[in-house]
Amino acid sequence: MTDTKEITEEYLEFPDGRVHLLRGGTGEPVLFLHAAGGAGQWLEFHELLARRFEVFAPDHPGFGGSDELPEVEAMDDLVYHYLDVIDRLGLDRPHVVGASFGGWIAAELAVAAPHAIGSLVLLSAAGLRLPDHPVTDIFFLTPPQLADALHHDPAKAAAFLPAEPDIEMALAAYRDMTALARFSWNPFLCDPKLERRLRRVTAPTLVVWPDDDKVIPIAHGHRYAERIPGARFAVVPDCGHAMYFERPAAFGEITTDFLAGVTR
Amino acid sequence: MKFVFFHLMPYPYLPDDFDEAYSSPSLTFPNKHFDREIGNKLYHRYLDELEHAETVGFDGLAVNEHHQSAYGLMPSPNLMAAALARRTERAQIMVLGNAIGIRGNPLRVAEEIAMLDHLTDGRIVSGFVRGIGWEYFAHSVNPTRSRARFNEAHDLIIKAWTSDEMFQWTSPNYEYRYVNLWPRPLQQPHPPIYIPGAGSSETFQFVAEHGYTLMSVYAPSRVIQRWFDGYRQVVAELGHPPDPSKIAFSVPIYVAPTDEQAHREAEPQLGWLFRKGLKQGPEIVFPPGYMSPASLRGVLSSGAKPFAELSYEELLTHGYAVVGSPDTVVNRLGELQNTLGFGQLIGLFAIGGMSHAQVVASTELFAAEVMPALKALGTTR
Repeated sequence: MTDTKEITEEYLEFPDGRVHLLRGGTGEPVLFLHAAGGAGQWLEFHELLARRFEVFAPDHPGFGGSDELPEVEAMDDLVYHYLDVIDRLGLDRPHVVGASFGGWIAAELAVAAPHAIGSLVLLSAAGLRLPDHPVTDIFFLTPPQLADALHHDPAKAAAFLPAEPDIEMALAAYRDMTALARFSWNPFLCDPKLERRLRRVTAPTLVVWPDDDKVIPIAHGHRYAERIPGARFAVVPDCGHAMYFERPAAFGEITTDFLAGVTR
Repeated sequence: MKFVFFHLMPYPYLPDDFDEAYSSPSLTFPNKHFDREIGNKLYHRYLDELEHAETVGFDGLAVNEHHQSAYGLMPSPNLMAAALARRTERAQIMVLGNAIGIRGNPLRVAEEIAMLDHLTDGRIVSGFVRGIGWEYFAHSVNPTRSRARFNEAHDLIIKAWTSDEMFQWTSPNYEYRYVNLWPRPLQQPHPPIYIPGAGSSETFQFVAEHGYTLMSVYAPSRVIQRWFDGYRQVVAELGHPPDPSKIAFSVPIYVAPTDEQAHREAEPQLGWLFRKGLKQGPEIVFPPGYMSPASLRGVLSSGAKPFAELSYEELLTHGYAVVGSPDTVVNRLGELQNTLGFGQLIGLFAIGGMSHAQVVASTELFAAEVMPALKALGTTR
């Protein structure tokens, strides 16, 4: 983390609760949609994007510092929710960058409202159902197993686990996983209809995958790139599904370079 | 005191490398370890043990539901109840319970229990449970909807049993345009309801308001005391008279002629139950959303040992199990009854890999020498 003085923390009020949002940088707007983990965190990756763009990083309903919004209980609700967020923030066709679960939301958003977004970056996005390339059941893993599944580098995996058992951390993690399960237990981390709808995407799209993704197989990346008209595809070497936790500079550079070249 | 013989129907023949090689006998323990011939004989043996319990004087015969597990071989407890229905005459047949949280179609439960009520001539008891965490994996049901599904299914089943008119049912998880139960249950307004499970104040409220029976599950007696006291407090606040018969204590019991023999024979089998049968990590017991934040906080901060870490002595002194000669068991259960105030005792007599002869002998000794001594307890508190 390099420069935090320009980050603001704010809340968006909704009828049933509020949504936590971090904002930083100046430039064209980037809406960043976080993964199952990482809600409420402003990381090196965010900071790299914020050198060139204005980054908006909300926590999904029920994650991190956001309330659980009872009316947001499925992916279609999340899509409407983010259309509301874009309107509420007054963003004009923002770049949308989504990672893993957030990548799935980003893809659904690009399908549902192609003209509402300026460009699309999918970082190891969930959302597709490829029976020959199943997504790892992260709900079933013990914390050490999850750490191993998320990382390429065993040292990073070891650092992922808390040194001491911490009830508050465990409760916060359970809350995030509960929010994730609400949207994705079954069908598991996918919308079976998404793949055939991807042809609707009009935004310039980049699909990025870590080469050692043990959670969402890289076949999902290839499929996204095949189905989204004109999509580009890039691979980050020596990296696991934790992506910008494991190699923030590489993900920051690839994403920034692509967004900088997009004419909105 | 009402006495119930409860069978879990375990499959105790685990491979020698079970402890090292498998994280649990549930959910993912490979079914290649189910030996067809052995399993076939077990079902008949276990049903024989339930039927035998009626002949020696038990008031109830109980079965339960578990899925994809060597811990218990009853994915459908209603089938077991049906198998017992016409082979028994007097005892209540108790399904403790149907896991209505994971049922795709809870109306089916209403139908089956209504049929069982007729097959048993009004002896069926209907328990309802949410289902254990791992069963939400096994049957692909979203655990974040567990409580809502349980509550909606319960309300639907009760209405289906008691309504004399066809009705339409709409709730967040279930929609039926035509509910019109044939047959109606025999018992009126419906079979007795048991709610097995741990104690949250919401559960006490639910059980007390409906006049159901609260049933404990594996826990130290100091925790069970907290549950039962909490339940009695809610009953009192509602202005209902105290009724010990609505409080059921369930516990593994082994009786042998002497303390020495009882401990020698029970120790390995209780070891099987708590260290192998109940071996299960939090990731499969508490899938996301299955626990409320308050309940999870309670579990995490209770400092309670996992089952597998309890010594045999701790299992006995903390009240997880009762073992001994008839005199010892009478004294210990009397002591627990005095503390906990239950009016029903639900005993697990077939523990782990106990032989049929051991189960039968323990059951008979219990019926002959323990039951009479406890019979008068639990009628007032």
